[in-house]
Amino acid sequence: MNRSRAILNKTAWAVFTILFVIVLNFFLFRILPGDPARAGMKDPRLKQEAIEALQVRFGLDKPVINCFDSLNPIKIGNCNVNPLETQFFIYIGNLFKGDLGISYDTNRPVSEMLSERLWNTILLIGAGQILSIILGMVFGILGAWKARTLVDYGSTGISLLFWSLPTFWLGIVLLFWGSANGFPIAGKATPGMSSYPLFQQWGDVLWHMFLPTLTYTIIFMGEYTLIMRSSLVDVLSEDYILTAKAKGVSAFQILKDHALRNAMLPLVTVIAINLGFTVAGAIQIESVFSWPGLGSAVFEAVERRDYPVLQGAFILIAVSVILANLLADLTYTYLDPRVQVE
Amino acid sequence: MKQKFLFVFLLFALVLSACGTGQSASTPAVVRIGWGGGPDTLNPGMAILAVEYTIFELVYDSMYDLNLDGSFTLSIAESATASDDGTVWTFKIKEGLKFHDGEDLTAEDVAFTYNLYKDTPEYPYLNGYYTTYFDSIEATGNNEVVLTLTEAIPNIESQLVYLYILPKHIWETASPTEFDNVTMIGSGPFKLAEYVPDEFVRLAANKEHFATPPKVDEVIFQTFDNPDALVQAIKTGQVDMISSLPGTAVEGLKSESAVTVVTGAPFSPGPEDIIFNQIDPENCPVDEGGLCTGHPALRDRNVRLALAHATDKQKIIDVVLFGLGTPGFTLIPDGLGVWFNNTLTDYEFDTAKANQILDDAGYLDTDGDGVREMPDGSRALSFRINWDSDNSDYPRIAELLKEMWAEIGVALEPQAFDADALTAICCPTFDFDIMIWGWVSDPDPSALLYVYTTDAIPYGSSETGYSNPVYDELYNQQQVTLNFEERKEIVWEMQRITHEDVVYIIPYYAQAVQAFRNDRFTGWIIDQSKIELTDVTSLVLIEPVR
Amino acid sequence: MQTTLQNTSPNKTASQLFNFWESFKKSGTGVVGLYMIIVILILAIFAPLIAPYDESSTANVGISDIYQPPSAQHWFGTDDAGQDVFSNFVYGARVSLTVGFFAAFISLIIGGSFGLIAGFFGGRWETSLMRFTDIMLVIPDLPLTVVIVALTKPSLFNIILVIGLLGWTTTARVVRSQTLAVKSRKFILRARAIGASKPHIVINHILPLVMPILVVQGVLVISLAILNESTLSFIGLGDPSVLSWGQMLNYAFGRGALSSGAWWALLVPGLGIVWIVLGLTLLGQGLEQVLNPRTDTHHLMPSRLPLSKEALVKPLHQNTLFEVQNLSIHYVGEGKAPAHAVEDVSFTLKEGELMGLVGESGCGKTTLMLALLRLLPSAGQIVNGKVFFKGKDLTSLSEEELNEIRWRGISIVFQGAMNALNPVRTVGDQITEAVMKHEPKFPKENIPARVTQLLELVGITADQRDHFPHQYSGGMRQRAMIAMALACNPDVIIADEPTTALDVMIQAQILELLDNLRKKLGLAVIFVTHDLGIVAELCDKVLVMYGGVTAEYADVDTIYNNPKHPYTQELLKAFPDLTKPKKKLSSIPGYPPRLDALPAGCRFAPRCPAAFERCHTEQPALHSIGNNNHIASCHLVEASK
Repeated sequence: MNRSRAILNKTAWAVFTILFVIVLNFFLFRILPGDPARAGMKDPRLKQEAIEALQVRFGLDKPVINCFDSLNPIKIGNCNVNPLETQFFIYIGNLFKGDLGISYDTNRPVSEMLSERLWNTILLIGAGQILSIILGMVFGILGAWKARTLVDYGSTGISLLFWSLPTFWLGIVLLFWGSANGFPIAGKATPGMSSYPLFQQWGDVLWHMFLPTLTYTIIFMGEYTLIMRSSLVDVLSEDYILTAKAKGVSAFQILKDHALRNAMLPLVTVIAINLGFTVAGAIQIESVFSWPGLGSAVFEAVERRDYPVLQGAFILIAVSVILANLLADLTYTYLDPRVQVE
Repeated sequence: MKQKFLFVFLLFALVLSACGTGQSASTPAVVRIGWGGGPDTLNPGMAILAVEYTIFELVYDSMYDLNLDGSFTLSIAESATASDDGTVWTFKIKEGLKFHDGEDLTAEDVAFTYNLYKDTPEYPYLNGYYTTYFDSIEATGNNEVVLTLTEAIPNIESQLVYLYILPKHIWETASPTEFDNVTMIGSGPFKLAEYVPDEFVRLAANKEHFATPPKVDEVIFQTFDNPDALVQAIKTGQVDMISSLPGTAVEGLKSESAVTVVTGAPFSPGPEDIIFNQIDPENCPVDEGGLCTGHPALRDRNVRLALAHATDKQKIIDVVLFGLGTPGFTLIPDGLGVWFNNTLTDYEFDTAKANQILDDAGYLDTDGDGVREMPDGSRALSFRINWDSDNSDYPRIAELLKEMWAEIGVALEPQAFDADALTAICCPTFDFDIMIWGWVSDPDPSALLYVYTTDAIPYGSSETGYSNPVYDELYNQQQVTLNFEERKEIVWEMQRITHEDVVYIIPYYAQAVQAFRNDRFTGWIIDQSKIELTDVTSLVLIEPVR
Repeated sequence: MQTTLQNTSPNKTASQLFNFWESFKKSGTGVVGLYMIIVILILAIFAPLIAPYDESSTANVGISDIYQPPSAQHWFGTDDAGQDVFSNFVYGARVSLTVGFFAAFISLIIGGSFGLIAGFFGGRWETSLMRFTDIMLVIPDLPLTVVIVALTKPSLFNIILVIGLLGWTTTARVVRSQTLAVKSRKFILRARAIGASKPHIVINHILPLVMPILVVQGVLVISLAILNESTLSFIGLGDPSVLSWGQMLNYAFGRGALSSGAWWALLVPGLGIVWIVLGLTLLGQGLEQVLNPRTDTHHLMPSRLPLSKEALVKPLHQNTLFEVQNLSIHYVGEGKAPAHAVEDVSFTLKEGELMGLVGESGCGKTTLMLALLRLLPSAGQIVNGKVFFKGKDLTSLSEEELNEIRWRGISIVFQGAMNALNPVRTVGDQITEAVMKHEPKFPKENIPARVTQLLELVGITADQRDHFPHQYSGGMRQRAMIAMALACNPDVIIADEPTTALDVMIQAQILELLDNLRKKLGLAVIFVTHDLGIVAELCDKVLVMYGGVTAEYADVDTIYNNPKHPYTQELLKAFPDLTKPKKKLSSIPGYPPRLDALPAGCRFAPRCPAAFERCHTEQPALHSIGNNNHIASCHLVEASK
C-alpha cells in the first residue's frame, strides 16, 4: 500500500516535471530575439519570398500565443486569435503526436532524426556508464576495504584527478593518443561495412566505441569511486557490520551480503543525479569523436541555430533524464525496505 | 585490475574487427574521403549546404558542367541554341542516356525537372534564385527541351548548372518537399550505394556513364566533426583524402612523405568582409524595422579610407590564415575567375598616411585621450565591432583590427554575437557600426553585386546601406547585357567603384587547402587555379597507385 | 559544527579561527588544495608583474611566430595568433577565477536563501521551493545552459549569469537540511521564545551556523562553474573577446593546434583547469573534514595483531570455560599518545556462571568485551595478556580459526540493537545466516522452523520472522538480538547493556529470559551494565572497572557486603537499596578520566573521597583479599593488610 503510493507519487511528480519542461522549452525558444528562418543563412540568393515560404513551412507565420509578441516580449501582442491556431497549442498538439517539427537544416522530421541518434547515444552512454559504475565500484570497494593504505590513497588520488578533468579536453588528448596507436577516431562504424557479416559489423562498432567509451569511463569513474568508497566506509563502520563480524562471517561475505547493498544506495542517487551531467559529457565526447548521437546533434544544432532540433533534443534529453531519475527512485525503493514506511 | 579489464575489452574488439580488415589484392578500389560536414538532405530542391551540392555533382548530371577554370561546357545536351532575342533556348538532349535504375533519360525528364523547380516555391535556391527567369519549359518529341525565359539573361549556364536532372518516373509521384530521396536515382558518374546521415555517404562508380565513367569502384565520404581528427586520419591513412584542414596543420602535413598538400582558390569561394554601416538616414528602411544607429563618421569615405590604409592585411592573413590567402578588394573574389577585376590595386598599409587623411578631414584628438573626435567634437571615433560567434577566425581579426586602428586614434569595442542576434542588429535594422561576416558565392557575380544596390537595403541583403545611383544603373545594365565581354567590362567597373568608395574592407580571399595520400590514388587534378579534389573532375580520373 | 558562533568578541573569533586552522591543518589534502589555489590566486592578482608579455598582444607578430614551441622567450610556446601562451595563461587565470567566483556567488545567494527560507519557515514555502529545486535538479544543466547562452549574446557577463542561475540546486538542498538541523538548537528556540523577529533570527543566529557549510559548498560550486565555462567555450559559446582558459582551449581546438603539433597550446590551459578544479576539490574536502570530522575507519580494517610480553601458554585455572589473564589494550592514534583503555584485567568464567561487568561509561567495559573476540577497531591493540576459551588461546588464533569460535562458542548481544541489525535484511534472514555459517550440515529446510523457534523463545511471533528491523519495536529488536545470539547454542554470551533504553517491563522479561537460559542450557554470561540492581539479582560474580583497570573483582556477596574499593563503595551509594529505604542516594561527583590523559597515580584518585598523597603519585597494584578470589586495586587495601 505504502510502496505503491510512493511509486504513484513519484510518477505523478515526474509527469508534472515533464509538463513543466515542455512549457519551459516552448517559451525559452520564443522569448529570445532573432528570425529563425534567416538565422545562419546569409545568402543574397535568398529572396524575401523564399524566406516567407520558409516561415510558413516552419509554422512561424502563426502567432506564438494569445497576447504574446515573440519579437518583443515586453509588448502585448495580438490577443484576438483562436488559441488553437497559435504556435503554442500547435506545438503541444504535435508533441502528443510525437511530432517535434521539421529541422531547419535537413528538412527532415526532428523526431526521425533524433530517434536514429538516440540509440547511438544510449549505446555510448550505456557502455560508458556500465564500465564506469563497475570500475568505480571496484576501486571504491578496494579503497574502502584497504582504507588508509597506499591502495586507498592511490585510488582516491586518481579519482580526484579524473573528477577534475574537463571532458572535452580529455577526449582530445585521448584522440591523439588513440590515433597514434591505430584506434579509429571518428564515427560509429567503418563506412561500407554493411555487406560484412553481422558479428563483424558489431566488432567494428565496438572497435569504434573504444576511445569515446574510454573517455566517458575515465570521466565518470572518479566520482563513482569516491562515492562508493565513502559510502562503503560509512556502512562498514555501522554496528551491524560488527554484529556480522562477531557472528564469524568472513570479511568477504560481510562485504557481499551486508555492506554492498546498503552502500549502493547513495551511488544509485548519484548515478541518477549524474544523468544530467551524463548528457553534458555525451555532447562533448560525441563532438570530439564524431559519434553520431544526440549530443553531437545538439552540438551541430547549436552551430547552425537549428532550433527545432535543439528544442526537440532538449525535450528528449530532459524527458529521458526525468524518466531515468524516476527509475532510480524506484530502484531505491526496491533496494531500501525502509522507504515504504517513510 | 583496470589495465586488465581494458585489455580484455581491447582484445575482444580486436578479434572481432580483425576479421573485417583482411583485404586481398582483388578488393575494389575504394577512395575514402574525410570531410568536415555531411549532407543533411538528399533532395536537391531542399539542399542548402555546399557538401550536399558536392554529392549531387557526382550523382546527377545537369545541362552544363562547371569547370575548374570557371568556364562551362554542355553536358547532357548535344547542342544549345538561343532565339535571336535570347528568350527561347532549345537544348537537344543526347540519345542513349540512362538513369542508374536503367530507365532512359530524355527531354521529358529535363522538362519535368525544370518545371518541378520552377513550381515549388519551398525550394530555397533552385526555385528562388535559379528559376527566376523561367517562363515555360516543354519537351518536344524530338528529344529536345524548349526553355522560354521571361527576359533575356546573360548567364544561362550558371542558372542551369545546379539544376540537376531528376528521373520523372520517380519524382512525379513524390511530394517535392517531403521526399527524402534516399535511393537517389540519378544519371551521374557515381550512384548512391549507402547513406547514413551524419556518418558517411558511400557512392559506387557508374561505369556506364556516357561521358566520364570513373576508374575507381567506390568513393566514401566520411564525416568528421573535429578538424584535428581529419588531419590525424590522413596521417594515419584512415582516409585517402581530406577536403579541408586547419591552416596550422599545413606545415606539419607537408613533412609527411605519403601526404600531398595542395592549396589554391576555392571552388565556391566565400568572401569574408569587414562591414561599415554607412546608411544614409534618408534611406533608413523604417518600415522593415530599420533603426540606423551607425556611427556617423563611417558615412565619411575619408574615415573608411583611413581605416583601409591602417589595415595590415598581410598580417591578418599571416595570423588568421597562416599565410594561406591573398589580400581582397571587393566582394567579388578571385575565385570567380573571369569576373574578378584583377586590375585593382589595394590601399597600401601606411599608418602615417591614414593619420594624415584623418587629420586633414578634421578628425582630431582634442581631449588627448588617444582617440580622435568628430570634427564637431560631438563623438569620439569609437566604434562597436561585432561578429558571428561561431567563427573562430573573426575574433582574431577583431583583435588585430583593434591594435592596428588604435595606431590612428580609432577605438573599437569588440563583442561577439550569435548569428541570430547578429542578423537582428544587422539588416535591415542597421543597429551596428562595424561587423565582420562572410558571404556565400555563386559562379555568376550577379548575386554578390546585388548586395551593393540601393534596392537591397530594405530586404536585408545590403549590410552597409551603401547607395550609389551610378552603381545601381550599372547593376541593371549587366543583368541584361548578353555580350560576355561587355558584361565583364561592366562588372569590372562596378568592382572599381565599390573599391574606390571603400564600401567594405575585404581582409583576404582565403585559399582552399586539401590533402591526399599520394601512396593510394593518383591522377588528382592539382594544376588548376582552383582546387577541389572532391569535385567530379578529379574523382572520375583518379586510379589506384600500383 | 560544534562551535557556536554567537559570541563574536575579537578574541574568541581569533581563537576560533586558530582552532579552525589547527584542525584544518591536520587534513593534508585540504592544505595541498589551499596551496594549489594560492598559486593561481597569486598568478591572477599579480598578472601584470608575472606575465612577460601584454595580454593578447599581437604586436610584432609574424607568420613565423605562430605555434612556436616552448623556448626561452616563450616558456609555454605561442598560440594560434603568435601570442605568448604563458602570458595569456596568467591573464586567463583572472578570467577563469572571475567566472568561478561570481557565478558561485550568484548560485550561493539563490541556493542559500532558498535553503534558509525553506528550512526555517517550512510549510508551503518549503514545499514549493523544494519542489522547484527538484525540478531544476533533474533538468539537464548543460543543454539548458547551451540553449540560453546560444539565444543570448555570448558575453562573459551573460555566461556568469547563466552558470550562476543554473548552479544553485545542490546548495539549496544542503543549506535546507543544515537549517533544519540547527533551527531546533536551544539558543535559537530561546531567541524565538523571547520574541526575536524571524529575519533577525535567520540572519543573526541561523546564518552563522549555516555559513561554514555554505563555504564548503561555495568551493565546490566555484570549481563546477570553471568547468562549465570551459565547456561552453569549447562548444563555441564562450566570450571570444575575453581570454579565459576555456577560451584559450577553444582557439587551440578551433584553429588546429594539435594538427600542427602544438600540444602546449592545449596542454597548458587544460592543465590549468585541472589544477584549479583539483585544488578546489581538495580544499573542499579539507574544509568538510573540519566541519564534519570522519574517522575514515571501519570494522573490516585489519586489526592489529595482539602482542604478548609474557609467554604464558596455558590457562592457570582448571575447569574454567573462559579465562582472561592480564589483558591490556591500547588505542594507538596517529601522532597521539596511546590511550590505555584496558590495563591488566583478569577474570575467569565457569559454565553456567553469570558475571557482571560494572562501571561508568568510558571505563573500558566495551573495549574489554570486544577484545575478547578480537573485534577491536583498527586502532585498538591487545598489548599484553591472554584470552583462553576452552583451553585455546584466542589471542594467537588466525581470523579463520576465530571465525569458527565467534558466535558458535561466544556470541555477543550488542548495546543498542537499533543499529546492530542490518536494516535491509529481514530479521529471520540475519538469524539464518548465523545458523548456516556455523552449522553447514543443518538441513536447509529445517532452518526456518529453527529460526521461528528461536524467535518464539524470546517472544516474537512466527509471522514477524520475515519483517525488517525497522518494523520491530526497540524491545523486539533487542530480543531478536538475543535470539540471534542463541542461534548457534554458544557456550558464552556477552551481553553489552542489553536492557538500556528499554522500558522496565521488557527489561525484566529479557533478564528473566537470560537467567532461564543460563539455567536451562548451562550458558555462561558476561553481563555488562551500570545497573547494580540487576547485578545483585542475577550475577554470581562482579568485575568493577574504573578507568580501564580492575577496581574490584569478587563474588556478588562480597561486593555488596564487603566492598573494599572506594569506587565500589561510591557506586553502591548511588544505588537504591530496598532493604535500607531511608538511606540517602548520592552520585559520584566528576567524570571518569580520559583514557589518553590518565592521572599519574590511582585513576580514581581525583574523585576518591579517601584519597591521600600516595594515591596521586603511585598507581596501586592488584591486591588479593582473603582467599575468595577477591581482588581490589587500592592503596588502602594494602595499608589495611
